Amino acid sequence: MTAAPRRERVVLTPEHVELRLVPAGLASRFLALLVDAGVILAFTGLLSLLLARLPWGIGQALAITLGFVMTWAYHLWFEVRRQGRTWGKRLLGLRVVDGHGLPLTWQQSLARNAVRALDFLPVFYGAGAAACLLDRERRRLGDLLADTVVVQEGRARPLSAAALGRPRQFNSLRTRRVLRLIRHRIGLGEREFLLALCLRADALEESARYDLMEEVGAAYRAKLGIDDPHLSGESLVRDLTAILFSDEGLAPQPQRA
Amino acid sequence: MDVERFIAARRPQWQQLEELLATADKVPEWELGAERIQELVRLYRLACSDLNQARSATANPALLGYLNELAARGYRFVYRGGGRRQPAREAVRRFFAFELPAAFRRERRLVLAAAAALLLGVAVGFAAVLEDPRNGRDLVPAQFFTESPRERVARIESEEERIDTVEKALYFGASLYTHNIKVALLAFSLGALTILGGYWLLFYNGVVLGAVAGLYLLDGVQLFFLAWVGPHGALELPAIVFAGAAGLVAGKALWLPGRLSRGAALRRALPSLWAMLLGAALILVVAGLIEGSFSQMTAKAVPYALKVGAAAALFAALVVYLFATRRSEP
Repeated sequence: MTAAPRRERVVLTPEHVELRLVPAGLASRFLALLVDAGVILAFTGLLSLLLARLPWGIGQALAITLGFVMTWAYHLWFEVRRQGRTWGKRLLGLRVVDGHGLPLTWQQSLARNAVRALDFLPVFYGAGAAACLLDRERRRLGDLLADTVVVQEGRARPLSAAALGRPRQFNSLRTRRVLRLIRHRIGLGEREFLLALCLRADALEESARYDLMEEVGAAYRAKLGIDDPHLSGESLVRDLTAILFSDEGLAPQPQRA
Repeated sequence: MDVERFIAARRPQWQQLEELLATADKVPEWELGAERIQELVRLYRLACSDLNQARSATANPALLGYLNELAARGYRFVYRGGGRRQPAREAVRRFFAFELPAAFRRERRLVLAAAAALLLGVAVGFAAVLEDPRNGRDLVPAQFFTESPRERVARIESEEERIDTVEKALYFGASLYTHNIKVALLAFSLGALTILGGYWLLFYNGVVLGAVAGLYLLDGVQLFFLAWVGPHGALELPAIVFAGAAGLVAGKALWLPGRLSRGAALRRALPSLWAMLLGAALILVVAGLIEGSFSQMTAKAVPYALKVGAAAALFAALVVYLFATRRSEP
């Protein structure tokens, strides 16, 4: 069985901006849950150790009650008072938000967490995981009921050419002819595309990276009329990007007022 | 638009917004102060306009993702509700004096429907056992049949008190109510997500209860049964019904929202769910403590009549509190 394709939820703000809520995947949520379960387990363990000093019965009763309260209130407290992030979710860069992109209320959080009893079945969130995979917004049953979404956060940083590092000293593309062609034939959109490609190349699988770089390289080889057979696709792309983000790369832009 | 230049020009403001939002996450609103809040709102609007601008100029996923996240964080702060905060004591008083009974009265139809499912189950189980006691074996879990009801009553009444200290009663009570609350939450969840599952769970529990009651009646020890189950059952069974009814309220909003959107119907049902679930949990705590102590007492300690009377009184008090007190909305 494959999971249903993921869908972003779009929220239109009063400023008429579309905000996108990007649902978090099953794996990160599961890891966050493991962390939270560990935290709760550690706290209840510590608690029963401390309460063991009390007379038998009273200590036991308190340990059971407080352990129970902690198991259920942990999620409520963090979801409402800590902006939707338990410790596990904070670690994994996740956040629970209302379906309208707003913070959760106590009532919503209670409804969401009451269904945990069902999500937890048959073993450690089996039902919740199944619901997650079938739902395009990756909601477990509790999320469906409370109209909440778990979103991923904190991954995106604006790309900047500064991250490219120092360019190679020798750049075979830096000839008068090629520079002129670059200025005339490569636009801003392409420049950004090339930057993104360079910055994300390290995350690609090796053969995929080679194929992609060769393909892009071939396109620019044709575009700029370069016929150097010893220049690999990746070198060409990187050299080209370095030039594009240096002073000589682009035709002068009209300044915005 | 040159995106590099755009990023360079706006980045300081984005970082300022990030820092303000991080502070706002940590400190309460009054400590943040009007000035910083105004600044935050201004920067949020700027980020919104930047996001729109960036969307029309580029498809750079990192930049758009970053701005989207920044604007979403700002949105969550600027448009969050709950500005009016009650002191905790006032909120608690209001909850018990008004919100809790009001929710039950508002949803009385579904509470009745849930109660009907349970009672129907009781009737079916009861009738099945009276018709043929052997039916009991199919309806009641096997561990019940290690001894006949009469033998069990004779054994319990001749032995020492099983729960003879406060400590034992507390321990037993705590295990009971934590378990019962979990069951109640499960009943709620099943009802909320499947509606029919909620009805079925109530009905099935009724069948088991009815069958056990029937077996005790056939053995002629029905008074023991009432005295043994009554005191806590008078609260526990309503609590399970209430949790099930809360599930039905949620299920109705989820599956039959009518003219409203599903999200709107769910949000409208939330105050009822909140009150009914908290109410059920609190009732179960009281019921569990009674079950762990008073319910277990033998006839030597407390006469049956007193226990049955207490059961009736508890049930009456609960019904009066939830459904019969008249209070206008404060």
